[in-house]
Amino acid sequence: MTAPTTRERVSQRVPLWRDVIVLKWVTQVFLLVMVLGAMFFLASQAGDNLRARNISTEFDFLHEPVMIQISEGIDTHPDTGARALWSAMVNTLRISGAGIIFATVLGVVVGLARLSDNWLVRRIGTMWVEFFRNVPLLVQMIFMFSFLTTLPRVGLDSGPINGWLHISNKGISMPRVFMADGFYQWAVVVLIGAVAAHYVRRRRQRIQDETGANTSPILWALGTVALFGLVGLFVHPAFSWLGSVFGAIAELFDSLPTAAPQVLFSAAAIGVATTWIRRFLSARRSAIGHLLLSDDDWFRMIFAALTSLVVVLLVVRWSGLSAWTLDSSRDLFEVLEAKFEVDGAARPFDAMRPDIVQKNRFPNYGTNGLTMSIGFASVFFAVLFYTSAFIGENVRGGILAVPKGQTEAAKAVGLKRGQVLRHVVLPQAIRVIMPPTGNQYLNLLKNTSLAIAVGYSDIVQVGTTVFNQTGMTLPVVSIWMLFYLSCSLTISVVVNWFNVRMRLVER
Amino acid sequence: MTDATTTEPTGGHSRDLSGARDMIVCENVSKWYGDFQALDEVSATIKEQEVVVVLGPSGSGKSTWIRCINRLEIHQEGRIVVDDVELTNDLRNIEQVRSEVGMVFQQFNLFPHLKVIDNVSLAPIWVRKKPRSEAEEQAMALLERVGIPEQAQKYPGQLSGGQQQRVAIARALAMEPKIMLFDEVTSALDPEMVKEVLDIMKALALSGMTMMVVTHEMGFAKEVADRIMFMEEGQIVEEGTPTHFFENPTEDRTKLFLSQIL
Amino acid sequence: MAGFGSGSEIASVAATATVPITAPPETPKLPPGEWVKANLFSSPFNSVLTVISTASLGFIAWFFLSFIFHPIRQWNAPATNLRLMMTRAYPEEQYLRVWACVAIILVLTGMSMAVWRAGSTMPVAGLGRKLLTTGALLVLLTLLAPFSTGATVQWLAAALVVVAIGESLRRIADRGEAERTVSTLTLQVVALAGVVTSLWVIPFGHHSYIPTRIPQVMEEPGTVALSTKLPWTIMLAIVVAAYFGGALLRDRLAKNTLRVTLVLLWLLAPPVLVYLILRDPDFDMGHVIGTDIPIFLAYAVLGSALLLWLTRPSTGEIGRIVAAMVLVAGFATFLSPMRMVLRLDMLLLAAFALAAPTFAGGSRSRNRYTGAWLLALGVMSWLITSVNTASTVKVPGGFFIGGIAITFMVAIFTIVLSVPLGIALALARTSTMPIFRLLATWFIEFVRGIPLITILIFFSIMVPLFLPRGMHLSEVAAVVIGYTLFSAAYMAENIRGGLQSVTRGQHEAAEAVGMTTAQKTVFIVLPQALRVAIPPLVGHCIGVFKETSLLAIIGVFDLLYIARIVIPGQTEFMGSARESILFIVPIYWIFCYTISKASQRIEQRTGLGER
Repeated sequence: MTAPTTRERVSQRVPLWRDVIVLKWVTQVFLLVMVLGAMFFLASQAGDNLRARNISTEFDFLHEPVMIQISEGIDTHPDTGARALWSAMVNTLRISGAGIIFATVLGVVVGLARLSDNWLVRRIGTMWVEFFRNVPLLVQMIFMFSFLTTLPRVGLDSGPINGWLHISNKGISMPRVFMADGFYQWAVVVLIGAVAAHYVRRRRQRIQDETGANTSPILWALGTVALFGLVGLFVHPAFSWLGSVFGAIAELFDSLPTAAPQVLFSAAAIGVATTWIRRFLSARRSAIGHLLLSDDDWFRMIFAALTSLVVVLLVVRWSGLSAWTLDSSRDLFEVLEAKFEVDGAARPFDAMRPDIVQKNRFPNYGTNGLTMSIGFASVFFAVLFYTSAFIGENVRGGILAVPKGQTEAAKAVGLKRGQVLRHVVLPQAIRVIMPPTGNQYLNLLKNTSLAIAVGYSDIVQVGTTVFNQTGMTLPVVSIWMLFYLSCSLTISVVVNWFNVRMRLVER
Repeated sequence: MTDATTTEPTGGHSRDLSGARDMIVCENVSKWYGDFQALDEVSATIKEQEVVVVLGPSGSGKSTWIRCINRLEIHQEGRIVVDDVELTNDLRNIEQVRSEVGMVFQQFNLFPHLKVIDNVSLAPIWVRKKPRSEAEEQAMALLERVGIPEQAQKYPGQLSGGQQQRVAIARALAMEPKIMLFDEVTSALDPEMVKEVLDIMKALALSGMTMMVVTHEMGFAKEVADRIMFMEEGQIVEEGTPTHFFENPTEDRTKLFLSQIL
Repeated sequence: MAGFGSGSEIASVAATATVPITAPPETPKLPPGEWVKANLFSSPFNSVLTVISTASLGFIAWFFLSFIFHPIRQWNAPATNLRLMMTRAYPEEQYLRVWACVAIILVLTGMSMAVWRAGSTMPVAGLGRKLLTTGALLVLLTLLAPFSTGATVQWLAAALVVVAIGESLRRIADRGEAERTVSTLTLQVVALAGVVTSLWVIPFGHHSYIPTRIPQVMEEPGTVALSTKLPWTIMLAIVVAAYFGGALLRDRLAKNTLRVTLVLLWLLAPPVLVYLILRDPDFDMGHVIGTDIPIFLAYAVLGSALLLWLTRPSTGEIGRIVAAMVLVAGFATFLSPMRMVLRLDMLLLAAFALAAPTFAGGSRSRNRYTGAWLLALGVMSWLITSVNTASTVKVPGGFFIGGIAITFMVAIFTIVLSVPLGIALALARTSTMPIFRLLATWFIEFVRGIPLITILIFFSIMVPLFLPRGMHLSEVAAVVIGYTLFSAAYMAENIRGGLQSVTRGQHEAAEAVGMTTAQKTVFIVLPQALRVAIPPLVGHCIGVFKETSLLAIIGVFDLLYIARIVIPGQTEFMGSARESILFIVPIYWIFCYTISKASQRIEQRTGLGER
């Protein structure tokens, strides 16, 4: 309806209240105003109430000392709120990461068990799925916890293998390998190795494509990384000079004025918006140069422009944001500088055995071992079993979705059962399995938040403690949401990337 | 339908419609999908009671054109006037045109969750605001007219393709339209079912309904059409009576098309 | 990860204990020896698997049985606190109300089962085989359990009875030529009757907790308290009677009318039941006559007149403008101080006015639409009036009710409230209007990205802050609001899947016969979309039920909270959390398992999954 000839005639004749385009936009704007109005109403109510109760909504508490003890993790006695939340975030990530990896493995086992030739194994698979799917996760978790508390108390000579493996109602402690001072220098060597491996793989692949000989490119690539890793153990101090480079970058960030990131962000926002609009317009232009924009197209362009304007406004209005960006970049590089400026003889890795210490009346695990507290164990096993039941069903469904003809054809060319599964069925099934399994990963991440019920210090548990102490409910809740949203987004992006790759392979 | 009694059931193109009213007027109608121009300045006038068959290779814009006429697609340039109502963004005009123009689709598009009788009577009840009993009576009469009154209580999924398409015609007729649009209605049918649908369309044409038919059925075109339009690349390349069109086409593209299809 | 193996074994033990091995083997005709060879020892790998799994299953079963029957276990803790787990501190003299509610639900259940023809038939021989397997399993478990000799003999005798019944059923079935079948409903009633009879016959013992000044536990020998065995007998009779009543109605009345009525009754049941349990309003008749009835009458008269005019087919666009103005007026009422009833009634009227053109028609449909308005207005006025009136039912404690009752209440309210919201969000997300789409997408993705517990914590703390001064909302209500928003986002995604399965052709066909967008959505798109979305929606509802357990974290007295915190906190039952939690696991499991199996059966029967 944008051609001038028609529009002139039309606009004179259609009354506003009967024009579908007008109605469409009036309805939408009406709803938008309603939603914004309701939000404004609620926010002003909350603001009044908060002021009446003298509750602040600032983020100052992040830098103030707190009295929180965290059950485990990188920092069990954090000195500021920010440090406490950071430590708790790491705990959440740790348990989610471990959960995702193990749940995938166990889920595949469960799924295959449900399709097994063996009657007993099949039944066990079914019972596993039907039990864990149909009992609330929280009940499972609490049951696991109360069950683990029946384990024996920790003593100075706790078993089963004293000094190597301790199991008690404080958890499980075992030897650990950890990154020592030289690790970062060594990591640089491995990184260079990874780049080299990429080229090695390409080269081997090319040889294979040209000659037809099996050159096992993946093995070669892995071998290259391993070689670099090995050599790196001896040559890594050679990279200690990187520390001064990072130091210089940190100083550069320190010397930049606050206006610099403001200008940068604003320019980026405007640049992205204008590029997008220009591309959009050229996509809408027909071959003979007609430009026909529907009302929705106009909306999209206006929306893009408005978004960039809002970003600019935020950046300019909220100079703290720019200052924070500068500060945190500087801090990051300062940390890196410190990590690299170590004694040249520092080892990349080190190992320790678990120990038991007695500070006051009761003996307890020391900090040397890799300790899984029973809080961690109950959350971990609960989400592991629960998610494995769901992933198992996905795996089973995915395998059943592969047409029978595929298996028959593979058997007909003489592949064995295991080979059929590995080379024919699983590659096809994985395309069906992955999307719902990605959802299960998201669920697992969110489900670890139930840790608050068994006292494992994840972000929700620590956050609750923080706002109970400081009364900063809103800031803590917004940190939670930001944290979970960005984690969810990351998982979605990874899973989607994987899905797209899988689909490309198909073609 | 109401006109059925008043019209002389003269066969096909021997009618003289020069005095009849203009039912559909298209003036320079154009439409693009991105880069692709689906309609290129299409102009045509269709008289009351006229039966127009639109032919053309696939992708030539014929479906897009008739879908523009009841605004399932929105034309971007030019004017379309249906029964003296111009198709604009006016809500009232759109509603009016939609209830005066019946459409039958290639894929039947019956409502699978409703019984046949409800498929036919739903729109009269809620759009025409007829009492349910009256609408159902009318629906039964229409089902009889298309020859399947015994299927009224079944669901569409239980019918054959030909029966489904006949229900779809009855559903369109239930709105008592002045114009019927047929969009390749026999293309999705098994060959033995094509005839039962075409017979109903013939009867409908004889009863004096204004019809626009997109089809590949040349026999139907020859026998029933008052006028044939040949479209290619969004343009009407040639139009004329069936005799003219099939016996001495003037355009090369028409000749090529006919040689391929006949 | 040293605990890995043992942990997984622990968990599957519970599965063994609760899942009877029911499915018959795939090739029942094979003789036992060959069946074992084909299914358990077909290859060396399979043999190893069989040996390992038998050993671990046996170990787990032994481990769990010795855990359960260890003399240290205080199983009288959950037994004594059964009432606490069901309804928390609900006053005993008012229990008739609770039973009345159970009876209403059972009547509806029985009638629905009859009307929707629930249940199927199974061959008697199959039943016999199942009983045989169950008996054998029982023998095995008995031998594994650490029972005294007397108990072992008793359990073995019970197992042998089961085996004997199974074997005789199998023989009976084999005798005749035709395959004999039995209705699963009959089986269920027989099983329930057995349970109810056991209440009368078996001396479970009478446990009760007497909350006097010094609380004490009463334990009498004998059968269970009269307060439950008589009511349960009556309940069984009611559900059977309701089934036959439903069957009678099914044959008399039109199928659709009956089904629609039942669905409406199910939707209406939750508020009515809550009302029945919680409130015995002491109406202030002066206020009712002076204020409530006049408000109702005013809205009834003016609203009816407005709706009668709006549903006239000739009203046209002015009607839409008027309806929109009613909506604006409804929102505007929030700007000035007035009674909440007036505002809510106004919003209800606006909703009806906006939908009016869709349902416009002849005098009959106009009258029917106005009738629906009067009914909705009446129900709402009655609810508001009675909720605002003081109740004579006084319940001690901060919350009026708890235990499994609140678990169900929260689950049902959340589901019922989130369905319309979910539909609205799904429609908005698939709509052609970009602002609607954006808002819905943001909301859905935001809510789906964060854990439920953060939402519950946020709402339990923040809702009081969002309310205007002088307005109060109980914590449970605040939590239900948050839970509803959460659940609606997930439901919207399920429904969106259904909406996307409706083909473009359906939309076009509806538009081509002249339907408006609203009519198209209500009559064509939603019925088809919801049908496709039902299986995932049922799955979601099971999830909602399961996750009500999260209420325990924010301190609502739900089933889990009582089992974990309240009972172990009683001086008599210190540290009995394990028993109580183990006790509630099968409660949750049975509900979830039954619903999911039932929905799978319905899905298979209607062939929904095959689309």
